[in-house]
Amino acid sequence: MLTAALRSSSSSSLLRRSWQRVLPASQRGLCSSSIVAGSNDGGGDRRSLLELGEVEKILTDVRADDVKVIPVGKRCDWVDYMVIATGRSTWHVKNIAEALIYKARFVKQKQKGVERMMLPSVEGQEEGKWIVVDSGRVIVHALDENARAYYKLENLWNSDPSHKEPSQDLAKAFVKIRPKNNSKKRVQTSA
Amino acid sequence: MIQPQTRLNVADNSGARELMCIRIIGTSNRRYAHIGDVIVAVIKEAIPNSPLEKSEVIRAVIVRTCKELKRNNGMKIRYDDNAAVVIDQEGNPKGTRIFGAIARELRQLNFTKIVSLAPEVL
Repeated sequence: MLTAALRSSSSSSLLRRSWQRVLPASQRGLCSSSIVAGSNDGGGDRRSLLELGEVEKILTDVRADDVKVIPVGKRCDWVDYMVIATGRSTWHVKNIAEALIYKARFVKQKQKGVERMMLPSVEGQEEGKWIVVDSGRVIVHALDENARAYYKLENLWNSDPSHKEPSQDLAKAFVKIRPKNNSKKRVQTSA
Repeated sequence: MIQPQTRLNVADNSGARELMCIRIIGTSNRRYAHIGDVIVAVIKEAIPNSPLEKSEVIRAVIVRTCKELKRNNGMKIRYDDNAAVVIDQEGNPKGTRIFGAIARELRQLNFTKIVSLAPEVL
């Protein structure tokens, strides 16, 4: 994966430079903090998005296995909590997602009584392998056991926040290594 | 601005290294694809001993383009290469890890799975 790391590190460093070049022009008109705000912050009252406590309650009601809540606020600015839950079968995974949507749509919308509300978006609902319910600052991942073992999401988010690509040691990169001679031909050593 | 015959890098660890776009999914007769569009691509180069092999036709979603991505607040994001992430018919990424920074627009386009695997979201 070294070449992949090299490619992505060079592209991201150059990206930051090209990103900064364009930014000063836009700073005149708008405040730069609008970048972080994203498009999810529409008005705090009009959303029927799910909070962390409600998500946990629903997951215990549905009897999802192995629920893990990972606070990723420190390393990601676009989400605060990732919740991972496992379903025992495809139907169970779909059921978890539907329970969350039901709670958001019927319970909270009836409570607040506003017509236009931002519902959490769902991805992957037809195929019950990995369903993501995205409600703003909390994202719920409902997987089945194969998918959970395959993607290993806890390893991704539980590692230390300063996890970057392995930094190449510049001193080592320029050391000349004598090529190993695996051929039968004898190397002509200059006399 | 990705069109058929465009070569793209692969930004995940699915096993493919380089893809060539052959079709843009969406409305018929579409000229160019941008970040967040799904394309049909053929694998031109793959890592040995991986589940994906060369000359296999797969779907991918574009995550980085050299053509800048414009936002409503005037910000533009321009990468140094064109890259895509291999997905399956349902939209699940085939690899388990994504490399490089991902633009936030993919979240609105229902690719939250890719955004959640990304190391950095711009």
